Amino acid sequence: MHMNPATLQSLFFSTLVLFVLGALGSLMSQKKSNAANLIGNGIALIGSALGLMTGVSSLLWRTGFQTKLSSPLPLLSYTFTVDGLSALFISLISLIGLVSSLYAFGYVRHFEGKYNLGTLGFFYNIFLASMLLVVTSGNLLFFLVSWEIMSLASYFLVIYEHKDPSVVRAGTLYFIMTHAGTAFLTLAVLILAGATGSFDLAVIRQMSASIPDLTRLAIFVLTLIGLGTKSGIIPLHIWLPSAHPAAPTHVSALMSGVMIKTGIYMMVRLYMDVLPPGPVGWGFTVLGIGAVSSLLGVLYALTEHDIKKLLAFHSIENIGIILLGLGSAMIFDSLGMKSLAILGLTASLFHTVNHAIFKALLFMGAGAVISKTHTRNIEEYGGLIKRMPYTAGLFLIGSLAISAIPPFNGFASEWLTYQALFAGIRTLDTYMLWAFVAASGSLAFTGGLAAACFVKAFGTTFLARPRSTHAEHATEVPMTMRFAMGILAALTLLIGVFSSAISGTIFTSGFGWMERVQQTNAAYYQEPQFLALRDGFARLPMPGILSGLTITLLGIFILTKLFTGNRKIVVADTWDCGTTLTPRMEITATGFSRSIITIFKGILRPTKQVSIEYHDADMRYFTSSNEVKLGISDPYRSGIYRPVALMLMRLSGIIKKVQIGPVNTYVLYMFMALIILLVTLAIR
Amino acid sequence: MLSLYRKIFSTKKTVIDTKDFPTPENVHRIGNRIHAHVKKLFHGSLAIREVDAGSTNACEQELTALTNPYYDIERFGIHFVASPRHADMLMVTGPVTRNMKTALVKTYEATPDPKIVVAVGDDAIDGGIFKGSYAVCDGVKNVIPVDLEIPGDPPSPITILTHLLAYLDTRAKTQ
Repeated sequence: MHMNPATLQSLFFSTLVLFVLGALGSLMSQKKSNAANLIGNGIALIGSALGLMTGVSSLLWRTGFQTKLSSPLPLLSYTFTVDGLSALFISLISLIGLVSSLYAFGYVRHFEGKYNLGTLGFFYNIFLASMLLVVTSGNLLFFLVSWEIMSLASYFLVIYEHKDPSVVRAGTLYFIMTHAGTAFLTLAVLILAGATGSFDLAVIRQMSASIPDLTRLAIFVLTLIGLGTKSGIIPLHIWLPSAHPAAPTHVSALMSGVMIKTGIYMMVRLYMDVLPPGPVGWGFTVLGIGAVSSLLGVLYALTEHDIKKLLAFHSIENIGIILLGLGSAMIFDSLGMKSLAILGLTASLFHTVNHAIFKALLFMGAGAVISKTHTRNIEEYGGLIKRMPYTAGLFLIGSLAISAIPPFNGFASEWLTYQALFAGIRTLDTYMLWAFVAASGSLAFTGGLAAACFVKAFGTTFLARPRSTHAEHATEVPMTMRFAMGILAALTLLIGVFSSAISGTIFTSGFGWMERVQQTNAAYYQEPQFLALRDGFARLPMPGILSGLTITLLGIFILTKLFTGNRKIVVADTWDCGTTLTPRMEITATGFSRSIITIFKGILRPTKQVSIEYHDADMRYFTSSNEVKLGISDPYRSGIYRPVALMLMRLSGIIKKVQIGPVNTYVLYMFMALIILLVTLAIR
Repeated sequence: MLSLYRKIFSTKKTVIDTKDFPTPENVHRIGNRIHAHVKKLFHGSLAIREVDAGSTNACEQELTALTNPYYDIERFGIHFVASPRHADMLMVTGPVTRNMKTALVKTYEATPDPKIVVAVGDDAIDGGIFKGSYAVCDGVKNVIPVDLEIPGDPPSPITILTHLLAYLDTRAKTQ
């Protein structure tokens, strides 16, 4: 069967139309929250299903399309371009959109009566549609417009629970940061258009070789800042840990899973496709940012006790891992090692897909817990595995996947990333070699710390005894939510086991673009059972690992049954030496992570404030209260953002002297300008 | 005043004469036989958890004496442990006051099977001098099943060892 581009095109446009219908429909039915829920999320569900069909069939049959909506004004003629890369991101956005919409049916019910479900459905559908537009626009102006729609829609989704002032504050920070990023992007787009004379990506691609080096450097730096802000690279990440938790959970899953990946999409598009290979320094910059973001992201996640913030910091970490792959691909591309470049790029894109899936799963698990316990503080959870067994099991699968433990998908893509980095170590020398050594070291560190962090998150949330009455009375979440998480959990396992086939599909997503790497033989090749390197350096039999694990587990099970099967089992209370066991005796998340924080105190700079009040203020023998505040310092705010804000304030103070407000002053300015103009004209 | 003096002089000798001490050889002989049983029945070590169920502490004194350098029962493979989870044997002293009843039952339940319960002292056997009081349960056997009773108020360390040996002898025969 062959997929007709025209069919693909109509499929894609009906997806967009459906999202618009869903947006308008839920807005019109906002008086009835039930109907708004059904229409908003139902149409988003169908739309995402169509989008998924579009993306996947485009990938499988290697068919793309290009549609031009021309208008009399050449600047306003929009182009949709769907090639392999776009199709990959369409599939990803639609997949997470599909599952999120399914999850939302049950999840948004707890907003009923408090907030307007119609507006939620409106912005949610617009958000989905705008992300699809971002990854399909073949025109940079059109890209900027869709980018801005996406930013605004997500801003309104972040401040959905607007009665909570902290949510509005988080939204404002997001608003400022994302627009600062867009400003950089706009500048970059204008420079690019100035240098090539067109906004059209296809034209720019042809003309790009003629762009002077300095201009290209400016474009690289500006786009890296602009796209990096959206992706949450350190130090531009500060909006991410506050905005993602503030949003409703199905939106957090989308934002963390796919929205930040639109930045990655554009980076791949620009640095690997549109612009010719830059100097090696570009790739090393990206590699360095990736190493720093991944390591610092996971360290900050360790210190966090807000479950959604913890997951948000892990998004930063995983963006770092994706950038490690992309950075190595860019380096190989600059050095002319095309086959290795494709290896790095495949690793990077594969991790993008995998991270979207397991991060959405984890956010949904966290949302399920939050909806039952009404708090985001993991110190107030505990014992939920008995009350929410399905959620606990699914969250555990997500935790294993993000900690890169086989046979789940996180392991496969991190393995590929390692191979890309090892390839650099094997083929390069001197300082480049050491850069790759450092990058693989940081990736190894990151993996270990991520596992530690999820031991903490899973342990304090689901194990031991409940630490609060809310956790004690928690019950399992509705069927739709469990089903949505179940789909993602199954995908983490399936993609992990069939990683060779899936990464192969991603690998071939280079059709329609990347002409410069297509002809070359890839260093990486796939067989049905193996992820492997062509030179035989490494091979990874994922199905073999799965069967090995299964056999081991079965063997342990049979052996224990054989040796201890006839033992009498007595169920009794824990021996507590006569005291009553309370949840306060459990190890806390703070205590668990403190030892690791102490190891990294040079980087994290933990702070500790102790305040003691005494009954007898003079003698100081009997304390009445003892308060210890543990925290970590925030060098980004104090070192970067506060000075910038202060500088802006000072600048505004100077401008205020001229722009003082009253209309008559401005009329005076106009008159003076006019007189000066007339005088100069008269003199001439 | 006078009555106090009369009491002092009329009371029988309470100080133990060194003559009555078991000779070290005696302790050694009994201990070695216990050790042989411990090796066989308990794979080399017998762990005892002591439960004070409202005792006068007299029995505890004697049990503590078992670990002093004179008796030193650790050399025979017997030792007192801090948790019933580690114990093979419970040694219960005292008549089991109402307040200690639940604690005793909990300790019994926390001890892994198979377990041996020893009631040490007359109080633990049937309430002793506290028998019939509203505040006590009149002995350990009214609360948990007892395997061995060691009489005496309090029993001396050598008595405890002798009874323990006799019990282990019968256990070794039945197994």
